[in-house]
Amino acid sequence: MTNILDSSESVPFREKVAWLSLLAMAVPYGPYFTWMVLHPPTAPLPDLPTMFLFGVTSISHALILGLGRAWLRWRCPDDARLPADERDQAITLRALAVAYQVLILGTMLTGIVMPFQTGGWRLINAAIAAIVLAELVSNGVVVWSYRRSRS
Amino acid sequence: MTAGHIENQIRTLRFLQGEMTQAELGQRIGVTRQTIAAIEAGKYSPSLEAAFRIAEVFGKKLDEVFKWRR
Repeated sequence: MTNILDSSESVPFREKVAWLSLLAMAVPYGPYFTWMVLHPPTAPLPDLPTMFLFGVTSISHALILGLGRAWLRWRCPDDARLPADERDQAITLRALAVAYQVLILGTMLTGIVMPFQTGGWRLINAAIAAIVLAELVSNGVVVWSYRRSRS
Repeated sequence: MTAGHIENQIRTLRFLQGEMTQAELGQRIGVTRQTIAAIEAGKYSPSLEAAFRIAEVFGKKLDEVFKWRR
């Protein structure tokens, strides 16, 4: 991972950003969802301890992403300045198209189906999971597309 | 639809231009050096506009740089 995020000539800047985004999602949200599965919140809303845990998770995500992007820009200033070219744009469009399907499915589940069966933090966490999954899929497709056109 | 692929002469043409770097070619047509590497390796098919720009840099016709092979 460090090699990929470092200034390797063959790795496009936008692939590095996608790897960083995957890392920034997995590091805080992995433990968050593991905790939520092992200790499902049962207190009525707003359930401040769960809200605090989610706040810490979100802030951690933003910090990893923000600091990581600043570090990448510092390591590869020339690449960071380049605008997205046609391949970058094609890859972004493909990633968004796939992630959109995931997000729509997640929205249908958490906005239409689940409210009839559950509520509270279970529903909120399902919605957060849908967003996180869509983001992981989006960045995963970006990484896969760049690697496929390199190897 | 018949199966086929696009071949290109970019590596040879870069050599003939005094070992022009992928970065330099990319800069001249407005793409990254990694995209040039992907085009050169046949892993990415450029847009028609980018293909014309590449041919123009080498002073060649489009079909002297890119060829369709079955």
